[in-house]
Amino acid sequence: MRGHFANLVVYSAIIATFFAVLTRRDRREQLRFGGLVWLSMVGGVLVLAYLMLPFPR
Amino acid sequence: MTETRPLAGRSAVDVSPVRTALALVVGWLVPGAGHAVVGRVRRGVLFFLLVMGSFGLGLAHDGRLALYSPRESFLTGLQLVANLGVGPADAFARMNVYGGPVYAQRDESDRSKGTVIETFRTRQRSDVSAYGTAYLWSAGLMNLLLLMDIWDIAKRRKD
Repeated sequence: MRGHFANLVVYSAIIATFFAVLTRRDRREQLRFGGLVWLSMVGGVLVLAYLMLPFPR
Repeated sequence: MTETRPLAGRSAVDVSPVRTALALVVGWLVPGAGHAVVGRVRRGVLFFLLVMGSFGLGLAHDGRLALYSPRESFLTGLQLVANLGVGPADAFARMNVYGGPVYAQRDESDRSKGTVIETFRTRQRSDVSAYGTAYLWSAGLMNLLLLMDIWDIAKRRKD
């Protein structure tokens, strides 16, 4: 798995699932919290990448 | 000041100090196993899959198995803690990658250490090494958080 986006998606999924199960006990709460963390991580990176677009290396 | 009240239900079952200590040790040795010792088997299995999955992806992506350096003692020390959090799996990975359980950079003129540093740098040059490092360190830090969770469960602060 050498793609940047694939790694972002997988890493975010691992972290989101971990913290959802660690901090929430109710299944629905876990899904909500995990989904929110995952979306925040993936969405945050995409927004940041878009903002950095005018500044290439 | 907030008062910590014991939780009702399953968590009301007492976890003896010996069992708590055992759960902490076992939890460090095998991620998730500590939760099984305090009666949270399903959660323990999921945590095992997450931590070891992250660890495996880290190795597959040439993640950094940190070496302590006296020149950057604070940063390399923290990196080492993140690596060691995952338990003996880290030592096995080092044996596989470096040819032995190596944890520190020593004198570069030392021939046996020279190959270790060479391997370390070669892995770092990989395109995906940064991702691998994130996976590896996350695995170790997640397992350290799991040990704190076991402590909270044993002290009945959490279910």
